[in-house]
Amino acid sequence: MTTPLGQGITPAELPRDRAPAPDSAPLDAATIRAMVDGEQGWIDRRIFWDPQVYALEMERIFARCWIFVAHDSQIPEVGDFVTTYVGEDAVIVARARDRRVHAFINSCSHRGNRVCFAEAGSARRFTCNFHGWSYALDGSLSGVTAEELYKDNPSFDRSKLGLHNARVESYGGMHFACFDPEAPSLADYLGDFRWYLDVLLDNDEGGIEFIDGNIKSRLKCNWKFPAENFVGDAYHATWTHSSALQALFGGAPTMKADRSFQVNANGHGWEFGLDFIGNAATLCEPEIVDYLRENEAKFAERLGKMRSRMVASLSSATVFPNLSFLAGHNTFRTWNPKGPSETELHTWVFLNRNAPDSLREKYRRGVMLTFSPAGIFEMDDGENFEHCTASNAGVVTRRRKLHTGLGLGSEVDHPELKGHVHRNQVNEANHRAFYQRWSDLMTAPRWSDVPAR
Amino acid sequence: MSGIEGNAGAARVDRDLAFEIEQFLYREARLLDAERYDEWLAMMAPDIHYWMPGIQARYRADRADVLSRTRMAFFDDDLDYLTKRVDRAKQTTAWAEDPPTRHFHMVGNVEVEATALPNEWVVHSLVHNLRHRNETEEQTLTARRQDLVRRDGTGALKLARRLIRLQQTVLQAKNINTFL
Repeated sequence: MTTPLGQGITPAELPRDRAPAPDSAPLDAATIRAMVDGEQGWIDRRIFWDPQVYALEMERIFARCWIFVAHDSQIPEVGDFVTTYVGEDAVIVARARDRRVHAFINSCSHRGNRVCFAEAGSARRFTCNFHGWSYALDGSLSGVTAEELYKDNPSFDRSKLGLHNARVESYGGMHFACFDPEAPSLADYLGDFRWYLDVLLDNDEGGIEFIDGNIKSRLKCNWKFPAENFVGDAYHATWTHSSALQALFGGAPTMKADRSFQVNANGHGWEFGLDFIGNAATLCEPEIVDYLRENEAKFAERLGKMRSRMVASLSSATVFPNLSFLAGHNTFRTWNPKGPSETELHTWVFLNRNAPDSLREKYRRGVMLTFSPAGIFEMDDGENFEHCTASNAGVVTRRRKLHTGLGLGSEVDHPELKGHVHRNQVNEANHRAFYQRWSDLMTAPRWSDVPAR
Repeated sequence: MSGIEGNAGAARVDRDLAFEIEQFLYREARLLDAERYDEWLAMMAPDIHYWMPGIQARYRADRADVLSRTRMAFFDDDLDYLTKRVDRAKQTTAWAEDPPTRHFHMVGNVEVEATALPNEWVVHSLVHNLRHRNETEEQTLTARRQDLVRRDGTGALKLARRLIRLQQTVLQAKNINTFL
């Protein structure tokens, strides 16, 4: 088993802060709190490896937070549905007869079988293959085979046998599900980050729509490596993606320290330049850049000058815990946990509903070429995430914490930008905020115990 | 994708032609295994459409198209896009390609069908791809292919269309750093 803390290790060999607790230590609040040093940026590698930590993440993060499940445009008509995951819980997201979007657990109340096997489609009801129980589009139990068998049965109550519903709330057409009745509203959960999400969701009065299809792939990595990568890792862009940048442009773009920021609120974060079109330019579709330039004044009218410069700039972002996006590329993606060292990536492309129709093809193909599993940028990312995870199999490896301290002391008061604002997008301030939020949630027995930061 | 769907009534082609087209596909597979991408690109017709759509699990009764050109795809490429992908693979800073992937493309079940044009044939095949990387990584991709093979003015065979129907709805791999 693991060497007890301190035994056989001289202090000189310890990392500068303090040695992590061994894996055998009980997973109490103090142990978890010590795993993340949000001030100095030390991260315990155990959080990327330990099955106990992972199990607690499923309970305290995925079963309590607002998790993105569908955009309005994916299920426009009554009966339209998609299936997805909240943590490892399979859920159905459907538009019911009340025209509202409902989300519920994809598991029959009788024997637990899955009741929907398609990833998308249109249905009147969801019927279990096992005994034929069927459920309405809002998850309520609508039909039971030979129901007379349950006549006078005191434990059979239709109203209590519906599928397990989530709370569903939306922002800018983005529907989120939450299984914790004590969680704050989606609006409060997103907090100041709503003001930033408007850059994508509300730069045009028509809002956005998702393009048909969802590319799914499996990475053998812990879900937090890609989530943290999007929350704030501008630093990796020019190095990891050097091959794609060389192939397309013969060199890397410049990120200007004095013209770029990291901002975060409630653990959600966006790193960005004010270059307006940097991300969009890598799609290699001039018509997209033309569209953006033609509409720059309009964006500024809706968002103000500063936020309008974020619409398609060099940037990346994550809504805590697992919804990431790239402005300009116009891709949303979720990192769905499948065990401590496996993640299922779901990738979508979106565009402004009012954008010219011809742009649909440009965005769809542009994202495919760059940020999809076969994309020339993304294929280097998966390699990094997997090996950052696998290396932690080593017990000695796990004794040294990871340094996530880039940009300490870069926070500034900004007259316009909301949330915590840090100068220079090449920074790890958002990583630290992401992991602070992680630590706050992991150590809080109830939502009311989660501190406001 | 009219023109490359299977056609049960299609005229049979002679054995020499079928053999020549099989050899064309085997050579292509060997070039991909060896990462000889420039030679591989030279096997493409200038109007190549190379398409690997995303595969969805939908109910049989679902009226949505099984394949759709407006849905997301892994590849929906013309020669320009294919060339960009190759340009990236050739960079010395393509970190994920070094040490190199050990590629393995096996092609089988080749069927050749005549078309209305004397110099174009619909070719069905299966491809079984294995990629081994680093110490123990092994990834399997299997797909059904429907190609349109054309003899150009110089007498050389070229690939003019390729539809790759991947068998996985959730890609069981972190990336696709090859062509099928």
